[in-house]
Amino acid sequence: MMRAQSCGGILAASLLLGGCGRDVQSAMAPKGIQAGQIAELAWLLFGFGTFVLAIVIAAMCLAIGGSSRTRWMLAQENTVIALGIAFPAVTLTLLLCYAVWLMRSDLDMARDRNAIGIEVVGEQWWWRVTYSGPDGTQIASANEIRIPAGMPVAFKLKAADVIHSFWVPSLGGKVDMIPGRTTHLRLIAERPGIYRGQCAEYCGGPHALMAIEVMAVPASDYAAWLERAAAPAATPKSEIGLRGQSVFLASGCGACHVVRGTAAAGTLGPDLTHIGARRSVGIDTMPLSRENLLRFITDGQHVKPGNLMPEFRILQPHERDALATYLLSLKVTEQDG
Amino acid sequence: MRITSRSRLRRTIRFILFSLGAVAVGAVLLAWSGLYNVAASRGHWTVTNYFLEFGMRNSVRTHALGIDVPQLDSDDLSTLGAAHFQSGCAFCHGAPGLPISPIAQSMLPSPPDLSRAAPEWRDRELFWIVKNGIKYTGMPAWVTAQRDDEVWAVVAFLRRLPALDAAAYRDLALGGMAAAPQSGREIATSGAVSACTRCHGENRRGTNSRLVPILHGQPIGFLMAALEDYAHARRPSGIMQPLANELSPENRAHVARYYAGLTPPAEPKPPMDPKSVERGRMLATRGDPAARIPACVDCHNASSLEVFPRLAGQHAAYMANRLRLWRNGLTSQSSTDAIMAPIAQSLNAQQIDDVSAYFSSVDDLVSGKQN
Repeated sequence: MMRAQSCGGILAASLLLGGCGRDVQSAMAPKGIQAGQIAELAWLLFGFGTFVLAIVIAAMCLAIGGSSRTRWMLAQENTVIALGIAFPAVTLTLLLCYAVWLMRSDLDMARDRNAIGIEVVGEQWWWRVTYSGPDGTQIASANEIRIPAGMPVAFKLKAADVIHSFWVPSLGGKVDMIPGRTTHLRLIAERPGIYRGQCAEYCGGPHALMAIEVMAVPASDYAAWLERAAAPAATPKSEIGLRGQSVFLASGCGACHVVRGTAAAGTLGPDLTHIGARRSVGIDTMPLSRENLLRFITDGQHVKPGNLMPEFRILQPHERDALATYLLSLKVTEQDG
Repeated sequence: MRITSRSRLRRTIRFILFSLGAVAVGAVLLAWSGLYNVAASRGHWTVTNYFLEFGMRNSVRTHALGIDVPQLDSDDLSTLGAAHFQSGCAFCHGAPGLPISPIAQSMLPSPPDLSRAAPEWRDRELFWIVKNGIKYTGMPAWVTAQRDDEVWAVVAFLRRLPALDAAAYRDLALGGMAAAPQSGREIATSGAVSACTRCHGENRRGTNSRLVPILHGQPIGFLMAALEDYAHARRPSGIMQPLANELSPENRAHVARYYAGLTPPAEPKPPMDPKSVERGRMLATRGDPAARIPACVDCHNASSLEVFPRLAGQHAAYMANRLRLWRNGLTSQSSTDAIMAPIAQSLNAQQIDDVSAYFSSVDDLVSGKQN
């Protein structure tokens, strides 16, 4: 009996939480200070809403089945003024004050001066990520964001084409990316971990496949990682890697993609300097693997329909093999994977 | 009175329905019995002939209404049309100095001599006929519905046809070709197969029309891929599909090797606006990131993959035509088109002209970006 009950409980809970999936992407499982505030406020509002609902139901029951004296009291003008005007005005004002007080740190843009600045540009349908190095150099990357855990990060959000929205539910609220404007978002990840985010404003065809992973690493590792990320791609050591590099350049990949340290300098598509170190291919569409990488290159319109990269079905099997080896070799260091 | 008229109406309707039914049953019986003679050798009655022709002419006239005629007064168009006429049309319709094949003459109706028949039609009507063909006459439709530009080339030629004598026709359609049969050259030039050289030229001679690409010195990989795409109907062209389809894979390789080994003959280039060339150079070497156009030279340079064409010195008219075809939504199954089509669709009309002018103006492209 107990077992059946607990099974039922688990079933009900899983139905309720079905939308949350992995808790790497859930506003109900906050992993950052801002997300924590939002969750706290959400629970408070939910609780208060329940309280108001209880009052309304109670009043309705009394109005239907209460004694004539109760019903008379409910029908008084003063009751209506007290419960219908004064009560909402007071409580909503209190809630607003509390919310502003709770979120006060986010309204203080001046504090961003000490924060680590990362620029994220929403593009159809990927994320252009630019870090600022310690000496002010701009370090281009794409589709994954690395931040130091426990430290404030100030995101500058822009859009290249249409309106996108940057939302990493476990870390904070969503902020729109608007063409021609810069919006700001401050996040602090409390602990190292991987937090998934998504474009939260419909931006055309493959909008649903425009996800992003934010990786919070220990603050001590971050500076070292950033220094490595700023480095150009290493020249491939293997013979097949070198062949892959020449296939990459001869196929014209460099018209749209940058691999720092090579002739590939196109800025239309994601920077590939360290693509071998990423966790996914096609912007979190598939985990990074040799097979998935080639699927995206040669059959990308099936994998991510509507994406702007043409399919390179022209590549011969030996060219594909060399190209994949080369791309997978593009990583910062071995330990970085 | 009322009743009588109503019953008369009812009788009439019944009579009409009965007659229609009887005609239908009669037609089925006639077809079933096999008594009707479908022999082409028997011909039609004069009255049937007159009626069919009357219907055909009016159908063409009506369906050709509203077709916009482009500028047809161009040697590039009419020579291209002439070369295709030689391989695609002359067998049935004959040509100056080339009588209609007796086999074709025995068709019903027998194909008209176009130097006499073509002037009876308007340009748009000729276009409609060449593009769509005519039911029950043996006149085929154009191989692909997507290449109106090629159909207009044939119309442009048909306009010149009545004025041509045998020598002038040979000059226009065959370009005065004379080649000794040997290996790839033999296949490329031999009339028995298809005569690539009519349009694409040969060792000492360039193309017959600026709407035809210069193949001299293109990589074998590109030439093979193009021929394969045409042969398997992945790349639409009413001119190239039938020709490539006739070649065996070995012969396609021979032809590709032949053209890959040629150096383009020096030909005078049409005058070009230097401003347009300069704009084209900027676009070709730097692209236009705001319009999502990558730099052309990243794929079209001397060290690109073999499957990409080299564009240095290519005819501007050919390039612009091809880019416009993509821009106007050509659907193609070719895997190289899969890369180029979306890029061409991002180009505007002026960029197409500029970039074509630029590539046709340069002699050689070194590898990588030029800045």
